[in-house]
Amino acid sequence: MQLDGVSYLLPSVAGFTIEQRENLVTNKSPDGNVVAWRSVRSTRLPAYCLDANLRVTRHQQWHRAVFLDAKPQAVGLVAVEVQLLPRAETVISPFTPLGLPPTRAGHLFSGAWVTGNRVILVFNPEALTSYLQSLGEGA
Amino acid sequence: MKARRAGPRLHALEVPLEGMSLLIPSASVAEVVNLSTLTAVPFSEPWLLGVIGWRTLAVPVVSFEALLGAPTPGGRAGGKILIFYPMSGRKDWEFYGVLATAEPRPQALDGSQPPVPEAGLPNSSYIASGLKIDNRSMFIPDLVALQKAFYP
Repeated sequence: MQLDGVSYLLPSVAGFTIEQRENLVTNKSPDGNVVAWRSVRSTRLPAYCLDANLRVTRHQQWHRAVFLDAKPQAVGLVAVEVQLLPRAETVISPFTPLGLPPTRAGHLFSGAWVTGNRVILVFNPEALTSYLQSLGEGA
Repeated sequence: MKARRAGPRLHALEVPLEGMSLLIPSASVAEVVNLSTLTAVPFSEPWLLGVIGWRTLAVPVVSFEALLGAPTPGGRAGGKILIFYPMSGRKDWEFYGVLATAEPRPQALDGSQPPVPEAGLPNSSYIASGLKIDNRSMFIPDLVALQKAFYP
């Protein structure tokens, strides 16, 4: 998925659902961390818009949202582009970022796809979920 | 004055940094590569400059200056990245890199090089000691302290 011009990978082991923008309820208010919600029965699942550094931002140039299966509820991340890559096309190497992990579930990345000088970091789904869940609704 | 006795030779590398040099065993370095595009790692420590692609691995690159509390130097022309072998007890793919301002220079140590006095060492737990070579101070990293910072 592309976030603000930077590509990241989400491993297929993570349970997720990709939703089109038109199926979501966008946040009309300029305030708050949530950019849109997905309505499932009586609950609203939040989706966040992140910049290349994974900080909350708000822009309208997104077309899809990826909702990660999680307890107590799924949480989403919107992206300019989401592409499903065949497993045979990607070779993921293990990767451990140095230093303190930023989430209770550990480091945000657990692998990398290296092609020449290009490195695409692979999310650790548990840590990404933990991070997104920590964002809350905001102001 | 009694001359220091020369002992067995140890091959070391002088690693030029901004305003100082490190001294490391040559055998700890897997390869020296040109500074290439660094991919940022969001929410990482300020001393982690990013990762580079090396062979099939993403190798984290560290600014030793930033570890010592100094400003992170910008990548300058001629900058090199030293790829270090994984630290003791770590996985065999956990190479890490340190940014140098120029090509490392070989130094042969034989025990005759005097230590840098305590007062001349940077005030940092990441420096274990230092040696004076050609009247210049070179600092030896504390790998145990580095390992604690890298893998807390």
